[in-house]
Amino acid sequence: MTDGLLAGTGVTAPVPAVSLEGITKRFGAIVACDAVDLDLHRGRIHGVLGENGAGKSTLMKMMIGLVFPDDGAIFVDGIRCYITDPQVAAGHGIAMVHQHFSLVDPLTVWENIALGDGGRLDPGDVRERVGEISEHYGLAIDPDARVGDLPAGLRQRVEIIKCLRRDPDILIFDEPTSVLTPEESVQLFDSLRRVVTDEGRAVALVSHKLDEIIQATDDVTIMRQGVVVDRLRTVDADTPMLARSMVGRPVSLRSERAAFGVLDPSVEGPDEPAAPITAEEPVLRVVDAVVHGRHGQASLDGFSLDVRPGEIVGVAGVEDNGQAELADVLSSLVTLQRGHVEVDATTVAAGRPGAMARAGVAVIPADRHDSGIVLDMTVAENLILVDPKRMARAGVLDSDLVRNLALRLIDEFEIQCWGPDAPLWSLSGGNQQRVVLARELSHQPKVLVAAQPTRGLDVGAIEYMTERLRRAAEDGVGVVLISSELEEILDLSHRIVVMSRGRVIGEMGRADVDRDRLALMLGGRAA
Amino acid sequence: MSSFVGAIGDVLSSDAAYISAISFAALLGFGAVGEWVAEKSGTLNISIEAMLLAGAFAAAVGYDLTSNLAVGAVFGIVAGMAVASAQAELSHRLPADQFVVGLALNILVLGLAGFLDGELEPVTRRAPRVEIPLLSDIPLVGDAFFGQPWLLYLVYAFVPMAWWLVYRTRWGLEVRAAGENPQSADVSGIRVNLRRRQSIYVAGLTSGLGGAYLSLALVGSFEDSIVGGRGFIAIAAVIFGGWTLRGTVAGCLLFGSVLSFRLSLPVLGYNLNNELLTSLPFIATIVGMALFAHRVRPPAALARPFIRGLQ
Repeated sequence: MTDGLLAGTGVTAPVPAVSLEGITKRFGAIVACDAVDLDLHRGRIHGVLGENGAGKSTLMKMMIGLVFPDDGAIFVDGIRCYITDPQVAAGHGIAMVHQHFSLVDPLTVWENIALGDGGRLDPGDVRERVGEISEHYGLAIDPDARVGDLPAGLRQRVEIIKCLRRDPDILIFDEPTSVLTPEESVQLFDSLRRVVTDEGRAVALVSHKLDEIIQATDDVTIMRQGVVVDRLRTVDADTPMLARSMVGRPVSLRSERAAFGVLDPSVEGPDEPAAPITAEEPVLRVVDAVVHGRHGQASLDGFSLDVRPGEIVGVAGVEDNGQAELADVLSSLVTLQRGHVEVDATTVAAGRPGAMARAGVAVIPADRHDSGIVLDMTVAENLILVDPKRMARAGVLDSDLVRNLALRLIDEFEIQCWGPDAPLWSLSGGNQQRVVLARELSHQPKVLVAAQPTRGLDVGAIEYMTERLRRAAEDGVGVVLISSELEEILDLSHRIVVMSRGRVIGEMGRADVDRDRLALMLGGRAA
Repeated sequence: MSSFVGAIGDVLSSDAAYISAISFAALLGFGAVGEWVAEKSGTLNISIEAMLLAGAFAAAVGYDLTSNLAVGAVFGIVAGMAVASAQAELSHRLPADQFVVGLALNILVLGLAGFLDGELEPVTRRAPRVEIPLLSDIPLVGDAFFGQPWLLYLVYAFVPMAWWLVYRTRWGLEVRAAGENPQSADVSGIRVNLRRRQSIYVAGLTSGLGGAYLSLALVGSFEDSIVGGRGFIAIAAVIFGGWTLRGTVAGCLLFGSVLSFRLSLPVLGYNLNNELLTSLPFIATIVGMALFAHRVRPPAALARPFIRGLQ
């Protein structure tokens, strides 16, 4: 732990820069934020910690006018404000660095930075200002580059410059490190510290990663299910205590490390690192795969991977380095420009709808709402969606057969719903994910591809998912775990490959993981 | 076969063929330039047909009342904007589907124009040609480009203006952002649906004027079949042009030329089946789309409605 290393001076301004009082927001029956109080002070970094769905993001969105509170008041410098849209927020000096949503890919860097300003468009002036800011904060960027061509770290840089250009008093960062390499994260926190101590701005840092909160913040507020459960100085906090507070029960950081983003060596490792699997021929072979993206750039650029039965191979890497395309290939969604895929030494026609599924490749897609399930269909219908033929006689669905299968899977995978006919939208996120898992595993797959399988789930659901993946491997399934959460990969994998710019740039067994080397590789350097 | 080659040779060396090709290309150009702006903002506006027809009819009425071309043109613009307001407000203020609204408007305006034409029977005549000195003396194509009624010349102004508006102004930057990534635009503080509505009004303006050009300059009279699907060819020109303005202009020239064959070939003594000639531009459109449509990238949010807060 590095507490104190970056912690602030402890000087607190008398009037908070922003003060939220009794903020409440409901979405239908769900209370996203329930009477939340929060003060941000100048010169301090305030961490907002909580699990996915704890209400942190909603709270921040209310501060910048993307969501309007149902109840409660927002004060800026002690004066009550009604922040109805982002322009009003900007007028009060509040700006947010968004996780994903604020850049327009086909526009250039300077055009993106000028977006949302008023007045006449003066490209020369914007470019000049971009140059000044990037020099002042050490955030180098080419103002004429197309944003869509930039890697994630630089895109975030553009976001930050876009924010700082309006000279905000209050800066909000929403899960800023989810798209960064470990090295880039350190750089980010360095420039953040500068923004805060040298210039007296207030910063809110939203995160679900304990290490990050401990390292980078001065104060921390912990939220759970829409309510503030704890607030303290970061110097007084430690990892186990934050974890307990965030989840609401004592947790073992050893077994749930992955869920908390803890890389701390003092809570190192599963009991024994999984032994390398040496036996047998690979069940899945991806050979020299090349896929071109929409703009003609190579998304997969000579990617090769072998997975043996019973082995969990973790595909690590910073987001947007070809992981989504790899999952698409293994879901028969895209055609390979070059290379091929073999399952059990038989080449599969990649890109033909359903070919991978028929060959025995099951997929848990990264965005289950996009491609995994149909929210308006019932649990039973979703469970047979991949291969309805098995449930049909002469093209007519056999309702008894469907029902029995659904009941069996609901029981086996402990899916909480009121029955096979429950519409899927009535289930919680974790249970929806179980439906996907149940469906994919019910086909007795030879290969299971899990793409970001725990994203957006709470700690309990994550535990269940990781347990299931482990069990699938024990049953002899070859598992490909694609994840941008390094902790998750380290927790589960027998073997780790690192992906960068569409190819594998390094590989190591779980037993001989060298963190420094891994961090270098995540940054795109072969090591 | 040799007669086909001969026909092409005759067309390429005939002043009259160029004149009618440019006349039709200009008609498409009026519609396509506005449609291009609308599509850049993320709206696939299919009511261009209705805008052209409303503009053509209103311009004929305006001219009948005042015998003044400029007044006719203003009537045309107002009618085009009226159709645009229905399209814009229904699909980008209320959450009605843009295609359903566009389809309804196309049918509604067709019926309305037919009915009102029978009631009012506006009388018009073809606007005189205005020759631009020197330029109209260019051999072969001079008259086609620079010896036309003045209404046509407006399209020459619209094209660079549209480019400047979209690529050089803050408004245009916001329009492009709305068409590519409305969520990001919203987060940046841009009123996405306002920009989209405004872009549809731009389409209404250019298409209304295009309608006036059609009834007052190209044909010289009004009938309810006067547009006859050419609004859709204007949309095809935008797609054919890969959502670039340059390509859109090229598409208008290509499709305009094909449209003009129906007039120019019989004049040159080639008697092809009239129905076949009428369908030729649509065949050309389909072939053009089949060849080029997969190579280009539309605005990422084209035809996707934007509702705040849903992400």
